Amino acid sequence: MKATLRALPFIGPHLVIFAIFALIPTVYGFYIAFTRWNIIGEPTWVGFDNFQQILFEPESPFYSQFRSGLANTLIFVGIAVPLLIVVPLLLALAIGGINDRGANIFQGVFYIPGLISVSAGALAWSLMFNRDFGFINNVFGTDISFTTTQPWAWVTIFTLTVWAGIGGNLIIYRSAIANVPEQLREAAQLDGAGSVRQFFAVVLPSIRFPLLYTLVMTTALSFNVYGQPVMMTEGGPAGTTTVLMMDIRDLAFGDGPAIAGIAAAMSVMLGLVLMAISAIQFRVMFRSSDD
Amino acid sequence: MTDVMQVKQAGVEDATPQSTGKRHRSRSSVILLAIAMTLVTALAAIWIIPMLFALTTSFKSPTEIAFSGFSLLPANWVAENYLALFDGVSTYPVMRWFGNSLVMSTGHAVLMVVVVSIAGYGYTRMRFPGRDVLFFVLLAVSLFPSVVNLIPLYKVVQTLGWVNSPWAMIVPGVATAANIFLVRSFMSGIPREMDEAARIDGAGDFTIFMRIILPMIRPILIVIFLFAFTGSWNDFLWPTIVFNDISNMPITAGLQLLQNLFGDYTALGQLMASAVIAMIPTTALFLVAQRYFVSSLNLTAGLKG
Repeated sequence: MKATLRALPFIGPHLVIFAIFALIPTVYGFYIAFTRWNIIGEPTWVGFDNFQQILFEPESPFYSQFRSGLANTLIFVGIAVPLLIVVPLLLALAIGGINDRGANIFQGVFYIPGLISVSAGALAWSLMFNRDFGFINNVFGTDISFTTTQPWAWVTIFTLTVWAGIGGNLIIYRSAIANVPEQLREAAQLDGAGSVRQFFAVVLPSIRFPLLYTLVMTTALSFNVYGQPVMMTEGGPAGTTTVLMMDIRDLAFGDGPAIAGIAAAMSVMLGLVLMAISAIQFRVMFRSSDD
Repeated sequence: MTDVMQVKQAGVEDATPQSTGKRHRSRSSVILLAIAMTLVTALAAIWIIPMLFALTTSFKSPTEIAFSGFSLLPANWVAENYLALFDGVSTYPVMRWFGNSLVMSTGHAVLMVVVVSIAGYGYTRMRFPGRDVLFFVLLAVSLFPSVVNLIPLYKVVQTLGWVNSPWAMIVPGVATAANIFLVRSFMSGIPREMDEAARIDGAGDFTIFMRIILPMIRPILIVIFLFAFTGSWNDFLWPTIVFNDISNMPITAGLQLLQNLFGDYTALGQLMASAVIAMIPTTALFLVAQRYFVSSLNLTAGLKG
């Protein structure tokens, strides 16, 4: 009892904040997925009705909304994740060959956009892609309405995403590659392995754990995509870049009465995907720490 | 997180990546390197151009943009877009947003560092019944994706009367357990003999924390401060939910409203000036504290740098 009282001033502040802003909302988040709720009044229990609607009832408007939101999110994840892994990996290899000073400058250039907010970065890129005053149409002599026609709308979203998203992975890969034992590479070189062979035979296996770590983190982050489509295309043209987080936000906090139960059910579905990913992450990391 | 716990404080202070540049190179690898350098330089240019173009556009006068169309550099460099923002005569209160963001991000980062460092001390240096169970609960709850608690979190913040208040940006994020893990793993590298010795000399927990632990965990607290500040500064979804009063918004949420101004070409200069202003604090932090950003990324990926 005395020991608890002594510890309370230290752990108490965090525990209070944790209970109010993490524990209660998380439990409540699962609960309201099984209710009809407008955020203002009391939720009414409806069992699995919300899940039934979004998953199995084609006549429900939320069924098609969930489908297309999920499909667009999967398109984003399917393209963004490989880009966010391969581009920084190639960059790390390339700048690994030059001296530290030069490499640090390149690293800074590629990392800084990651510290710029999505809205500020998107304003800069919106100007780049602007039809009349944009850099791209004017330099290449084209007249494309990038943000309102497909596939360009996706191109603008992926451009912003890759521009802002490669820095962290680049830093991790660069350190990982620098940590590859020099003897391994020399041995491969003596065996007559060229640069490409060395990469696949020596470097890639040596950095597999940081690679897996970044793959899992990047995938989880990509499923949560929200800001890039909101800022670049507002989900258009014709809803083709409207991702699941945008649907969730609009249902719960958009204009008109809140449909928080449906939104929460969608959140739980997205949450299940993310939990599966973090389960993989844990396995990967426990294995890597045994390594 | 297990990796984080195992990598002791050694990783943070001296984790600048070392180049392995000095080695024998064959002729083909020299050519490969030259090609690679050309591509990297081209890519770096692409990375810089949007920021540069935003910057040069922010120094063009509205009339120049409207009548001369596209040009990379301004014909006349004018500061009027920035002056309009500073004087508050622009359509939106951008400088006010900037001030709001400074208050919120600084407040959040300071609160985070204080709360997390004392909690880290509690979980590593103090013994009390149920400690490990409690820590396990923190771990388990933090595994649930934040998307699930988004809607109820709004309800909680609304109940507290924090809609449109800076507190909505300062407090909720501190609930995370991730930073406690980070501090906890860092502290476990500090020999316990040091606290024991101080305790024999009659020091209490508060003194031990302030005099012995705090100075030694400074590097990890700097990292936590930097990431809390930049994370809060750049947070986008949450502030667009909890702020509907334009004058109380942080700048990241405010800039979304500016997207509408793209229809008005005379406003482009002010629009870019606003974006540039929003970019300054986090970019500046990176320039002065690059090694902390680099080492903490390596630390969380389980690398010693």
